[in-house]
Amino acid sequence: MTLPIQDPSLAAEGLGVPPRRAGFLRGVLRERKAAVIGLAIIAFFVLLALIAPLISPYSATAQTCKVYAPPSASHWLGCDDGGIDMLSELMQGGRTSLVVGFAATVVAIVIGGGVGIVSGYFSGWADTALMRVTDYLLVIPDLVFALVIADIWGPSLFHVIIVIGILEWTSTARIIRAQVMSLKQRVYIKRAQAIGSGHPRIIVRHILPQVGPLLMANTVLTVAIAIYLETALAFLGLEDPTVITWGTILEHAFERTAISSGAWWAIVPDGFVIAIVIVGCFLLGQAIEDALNPRLKVAHLSVRRWRIRPLAGRGRDAI
Amino acid sequence: MIKRGFFALVTIFVAITINFFLFRVLPGNAVTDLSRVPHASPALRHALLTEFGLDKPKWEQYLIYLNNLAHGNMGISFANQQPVSHLLLADLKNTIPMVTLGTVTAIVLGVFTGVLSAWRRGSAPDHASTNLAISAYAFPTQWLGLMLLILFAGTLPAGGMSDPFLFTAEPFWQHLADVGKHMILPAVTLMLTTYGSFTLVTRSSMLETLGEDYVLTARAKGLPARRIVWRHAVRNALLPVVTLIALELGFIVGGAVLVEVIFSWPGIGLAMYSAIGQRDYPMLQGGFLILTVSVILLNFLADLLYFRLDPRITA
Amino acid sequence: MSLLEVSDLHVWFDLPQGQQVHAVQGVSFALDPGERFGLVGESGCGKTTTILAMMGLLPPSATVSGAVRIDGQDVLAGGEDSARGYRWKDIAMVFQGAMNALNPVKKVGWQIAEPMAFHGVATGAAARRRAGELLELVGIPAAAGERYPHEFSGGMRQRASIAMALACQPRILLADEPTTALDVMVQAQILDLLTRLSSELGLALVLVTHDLPVVAQTCGRAAVMYAGEIAEAGPMETLFHAPRHPYTRLLFAATPDLYGDEEVVSIGGAPPRLDRPMTGCPFQPRCDVVLDRCAGQHPALRLVGAGHEAACHHTEDQAQDRTERVGST
Repeated sequence: MTLPIQDPSLAAEGLGVPPRRAGFLRGVLRERKAAVIGLAIIAFFVLLALIAPLISPYSATAQTCKVYAPPSASHWLGCDDGGIDMLSELMQGGRTSLVVGFAATVVAIVIGGGVGIVSGYFSGWADTALMRVTDYLLVIPDLVFALVIADIWGPSLFHVIIVIGILEWTSTARIIRAQVMSLKQRVYIKRAQAIGSGHPRIIVRHILPQVGPLLMANTVLTVAIAIYLETALAFLGLEDPTVITWGTILEHAFERTAISSGAWWAIVPDGFVIAIVIVGCFLLGQAIEDALNPRLKVAHLSVRRWRIRPLAGRGRDAI
Repeated sequence: MIKRGFFALVTIFVAITINFFLFRVLPGNAVTDLSRVPHASPALRHALLTEFGLDKPKWEQYLIYLNNLAHGNMGISFANQQPVSHLLLADLKNTIPMVTLGTVTAIVLGVFTGVLSAWRRGSAPDHASTNLAISAYAFPTQWLGLMLLILFAGTLPAGGMSDPFLFTAEPFWQHLADVGKHMILPAVTLMLTTYGSFTLVTRSSMLETLGEDYVLTARAKGLPARRIVWRHAVRNALLPVVTLIALELGFIVGGAVLVEVIFSWPGIGLAMYSAIGQRDYPMLQGGFLILTVSVILLNFLADLLYFRLDPRITA
Repeated sequence: MSLLEVSDLHVWFDLPQGQQVHAVQGVSFALDPGERFGLVGESGCGKTTTILAMMGLLPPSATVSGAVRIDGQDVLAGGEDSARGYRWKDIAMVFQGAMNALNPVKKVGWQIAEPMAFHGVATGAAARRRAGELLELVGIPAAAGERYPHEFSGGMRQRASIAMALACQPRILLADEPTTALDVMVQAQILDLLTRLSSELGLALVLVTHDLPVVAQTCGRAAVMYAGEIAEAGPMETLFHAPRHPYTRLLFAATPDLYGDEEVVSIGGAPPRLDRPMTGCPFQPRCDVVLDRCAGQHPALRLVGAGHEAACHHTEDQAQDRTERVGST
């Protein structure tokens, strides 16, 4: 008898039933406005990155106006220290930053998902060993580690992707491992094992689909972290100086006295595009995670309170 | 508890070993490549060669490295030929107060707003606080720092740790006030960049806690809501927050590096940043080791705190 | 005037899509000091919601109407604020699953003593001493108050919960499935304890359970709830030997009898959904003695004997009813 203590919405939504992946994302999008906003933001920037060369007003590398020219009708976001149009530069930077973000995330999710599943499914020494590595990477300050590796390897876009990828898989691995360990106890997995299905088959047919939504949430959240880390590494000068990313734009502005020149337009819009993309990822990822967590729907204490209906209707249909 | 301490020790040892491999064994050959040492005289090269045992096999180098570390010897800075350990200890003394100030305010603020947000879930203040927290989390640390630089360029000192024109003869408290004034912008930047995730995690942890049966029990006892929140729910809700703070330590340290670079705060982060520019590998190596070990030790402290907060876990 | 009087209590819950669930639909009953009253029914029938509503312990999505009177004073009249004044002092509760009902990071003794100061019962050392006495009263050494809930066994936790409920000398004790999570031996001990306390302290006890034998063992009177309303209420003996509602009869038939050799019959089907209006008798789809009226007309709860009420169309025409019952048993 747990129903009435909790909001009855819980029962209506089918508590405890594992999410069916087919319509899961669609369900989240239907029920949560934040997820729609998040997805729209991500889609918008991906689209913008794809068509940037077509709609970019000026070259992102050649001088088209005066040094630190303020925003004007012809250059909406002004120009940087090299007389390059900021808007075009932001579009170009977005392309690279998103590529870095997504590529690093693919690396991180493949490692994290793989480690999580193997560790959770097989337990034993493999689990112990993998979790020790995870624990270690988890406590290591990631930016500092990335800084050291990127510096030793030399500045390049590829190195930045790899460094971020091999640093950001740990939390995914932990979450997926926990999920797989609880899945392993479910009856249908035990049944599949009993009828002699091979491990790869069980993992692909039964485990992967179940951790899908969780993996999805982690992917989106990792994109945000990867983009964030890219800007930080670029800011510390560990990015290939010839490429333009949202990170290098900030670095150039900082290094080349944008502040003392009062050229806020070289700094402010860049921060906003980074923040908006990260917020988009956060909203979508968090919405998926919240949808997976039924515990958040119950509250025994709230400033909102139950109401009294003063005149009780006599008879049952007088609602 | 002992297990935890053991884990911390092992992790520190692993960090020390990885530190060695990173700089000596991996391609790039950072330290051994003496030709990359700027302005090195033949005498210095020879000194380095013997000190690190660079002409010996790798495993022997590793033993020498461990032995040196045990004696607090992290090598000589390429840039100014001073012992790395002395330089870094001085830097650490500058880093600690600034980072502590920023982080502690962020934790206090984050926990406080997170608790209130969860308590008033769905209200306008909840939405405002959550959106603010998400923004603080989303804007890059370096951007927040630059914004503060632009906004407070005239009113607060923009860089360094003290006013070089302040006479040493001035009384002690005046120097302290001066350092404090210099500390505001970097500490606030660090606070802004970390408080968001503390708020969000406290809020969601608190929401879960408010759904627990013992909160209903407390309500049934006729206790006022304020007491239920602060005496019954918060302590339980803080448990995951402590874990998060431990996990965030690495991020905080990363943020501290960025903040020190922006505000030229003479701490360990700035030292590492300069070391990159000057190819000063012993400094970089030492800085990395010190930061990593600090984070591991603080993690251990967080574990101890967790034991104190949760009676269900026994030592 | 009764000590406790629940009259025409309704509870609705808002659903996210704007609908409402009518979880409790006009429940009424009254209790005198020392009386033990059972509230029986399947999961989701509204029995727990009923007793939570009696203390005003509802989530924000709830709407309540009707009255819960203690000595004639309406507990719910002023909403959460007025209800809070009665909680624990006049009316206290033992929750189901005592593991989660106790705060895991606070010592048990502290949790028992905590409400005393708020309700002016005792403070400081006096409160701690009283907490120890209460623990002794429920059969736990007073020193155990210095321990944490996870160091207690399931039965001890439930005893501690009872001690906690007695902290402010309430006159009414609500117990929500107090024995569900416990093994049979401990179950019996807890029920004995509740019975003893109610006679010794003159406590009015409302026992909520899905477990008929538990009620039969403990309570003098009981109400059987179905789909948010009371289907039948009366003295335990009468309910057992002469049930007038088919649901009560089937519920007893569905309970295994240790001594009898009667076959256990389960009730087919499921209770109706409460988020849409119902016409007719809510039990009609599962009933084994349906009349023509049952589908279209809702039966009212009416007196069918001394202190015995039932909501069934069969009770309207006594003569017809008697023949039907003879035919069906």
